Amino acid sequence: MDIDAVKARAGPREFGPADDMPEEYRKAATRMLQFHANSEIMGAYLEKPFIRKSPSIDRKLAFSAKVQDEIGHGQLLYRAAEALGVKTREEMLDELGRGDGKFLNCFHYEMTDWWETPMIAFFVDGAAMKRQATLKQSSWTPYAHAMDKICFEEGFHVKHGEDIMRELASGSRKEQRLLQEAFDTWWPRILQFFGPTDDKSTHHDFAADVGLKTMTNDELRNQFLNAYVPKARKYGLEIPDEPRIRYHEDRDHYEVVEDDLDWDEFFAIAKNEYPEGLDQINGRASAREAVEWARESLDASDSGMPGAAVAAGSD
Amino acid sequence: MGDLRSLADLSDEERTAAEALLFRLADDEFVLAERYTEWQVIAPTLESDLALSNIAQDELGHARVWYDALNRIGHTEQSLVWERDPGSFRHSTLVELPFEEGDWADAIVRSYLYDVAEDLRLDAVAESGVHELVDPIEKLRSEEEYHLQHAQQWLERLCDDADGLDHVQDATDRLFEHALTLWVPGPEAAAIEEYGLRGDSLASMRRQWLDTVGSFLESLGVTMPLDPEDDPADHRPAAVGRDGSHTDHWPRLHDDLTETYRELDRSDVRRLRGESA
Amino acid sequence: MRWEVFRQDKRGDYHKHCGDIHAPDREMATLFAQIQHGRRMTTNSLWVVPSDEVTEIDTEDTAFGGRTDKAYRWATTYNVDASFAKEVEDSEKEQAAVERERGATASEGEGDD
Repeated sequence: MDIDAVKARAGPREFGPADDMPEEYRKAATRMLQFHANSEIMGAYLEKPFIRKSPSIDRKLAFSAKVQDEIGHGQLLYRAAEALGVKTREEMLDELGRGDGKFLNCFHYEMTDWWETPMIAFFVDGAAMKRQATLKQSSWTPYAHAMDKICFEEGFHVKHGEDIMRELASGSRKEQRLLQEAFDTWWPRILQFFGPTDDKSTHHDFAADVGLKTMTNDELRNQFLNAYVPKARKYGLEIPDEPRIRYHEDRDHYEVVEDDLDWDEFFAIAKNEYPEGLDQINGRASAREAVEWARESLDASDSGMPGAAVAAGSD
Repeated sequence: MGDLRSLADLSDEERTAAEALLFRLADDEFVLAERYTEWQVIAPTLESDLALSNIAQDELGHARVWYDALNRIGHTEQSLVWERDPGSFRHSTLVELPFEEGDWADAIVRSYLYDVAEDLRLDAVAESGVHELVDPIEKLRSEEEYHLQHAQQWLERLCDDADGLDHVQDATDRLFEHALTLWVPGPEAAAIEEYGLRGDSLASMRRQWLDTVGSFLESLGVTMPLDPEDDPADHRPAAVGRDGSHTDHWPRLHDDLTETYRELDRSDVRRLRGESA
Repeated sequence: MRWEVFRQDKRGDYHKHCGDIHAPDREMATLFAQIQHGRRMTTNSLWVVPSDEVTEIDTEDTAFGGRTDKAYRWATTYNVDASFAKEVEDSEKEQAAVERERGATASEGEGDD
């Protein structure tokens, strides 16, 4: 198939592993999926310490389940990426460890305190859900299928995040203050979740033309703000003065003053050059390296034949 | 087999014995789960990560079941976990030990030694005649079955190559004396036995446990740290957990896990509604 | 090794493909599959199959039973009133739906109803 044929046919769930997709499509799709899969892993890595730091047994269980789900999502997305024939799962996981794998900006920042968790668990997950719902329409069928499952599971994540926020927002004055401080810190990062505005985004046109994605960064951010700004206010959070955001009622559109956001920081993060992000990358890489021996041990027992490989000493 | 009685029906002395037993059960599961969660996101493979996470949630869920039973005799989650003096926890030292980075063999060996013991213990407690002890056991068992299978299958494959076997041997050597504390009696041991709250004695269960883990591990090429003629009582670590004595790792862990609760001056714990609500 | 997993939600349902598993052998594949693919959705049963054992053929490889006119196979071809027996009528409705999906032209029957 040539690229014009792809563009002509592009539509929801139009292409799959049996199709002979041109290299440009396969590379663009791999890039999207790899970014998405890496983000699941690095999001899980960022949230994992909060299993330990949860202040109740049920919170602990919920965080454990959420982190578990995210690893499962990574598994699905790496598989959907592999189906394009460009990179294997192992290659992508290695790239992530080497600092070559890209992932969501929000997961390059450190998160140290319990009251920060709703920023990721509610706002970032909420933003992710907005995006993921539209990706059910992706032209790459394995991606769309992965989205079906991920969207099914993700609902609890966002509600869990909101529940934590509600508890803090209706807690002591100290808790409310800490929640607001966390919001002040994370809000610009959350706004940058959707990436640069359309005119600055380099990959959008092609991805949209071949049906890999169906909504622009602007559209998604607008939808997100529509839903989540009122929620933030409901919990008594004040939207910070900067970045300046103006709501235009006539167009039902939130205008964000882009220059008020730190795009230099964003692009450093996009190149995996932000120090806190490097800490995350390297921390995970070190842990991954440390269990390489166990993977090798499993591989040694993998004969490629279905039956159990346990033969030593057996009759 | 007579009718089951409730904790409320028991005499004060019997209830005190049941309470002590519940603390052993609950604290073991709680601390074990806490350590297991350290492996989330960094297990050897994505699939093994999910399996391990599930085991962690199972064990924490078991702890919750036993802590709920203790709620019936005046304890609350706050008093049992968040506001409790670490020195009053009664878990085995096996479950409080930290993991070295990359020591997946420790996770598996620890799990194996614990799960075989748990199997025997649940069998014994199933004969207690007390509702709150007996009712949860069927569900717990079905989950523990998976845990044991998981540990066994991993051990078989790790021990199948020389490097894996080395790791497993190291972990076994390091963990074994702590695993023996699973069988060390606590302050209420005599009463627990007198009231038949365990259908088998600790010494007898320990013997069966040693037989089972010994023959399985040896079949995989692991050398047991104990000879059959050794007296397990001679191989105890300095702290045994069952009497409130713990390694230095425990107070640090307890501190860590209670940090948020204390920082926010909490006195309430968020409880989610259950599946049957 | 890679394994494909098929899940049956409830007794009586079909098994549907739900994803894959990386595991060295069948035993560990089922150990992992029950958690990855069974824990979050209602699961009555899983099939776990080595990926290599799944052979795929598609419209590039085969005509799936032919493309020349085979109207004789379709209930909709026969211009007889099926409402006397619900099961026959149901079958006809199902086949009509499939026919629409195939983009087949509607059968010319002697219009009479």
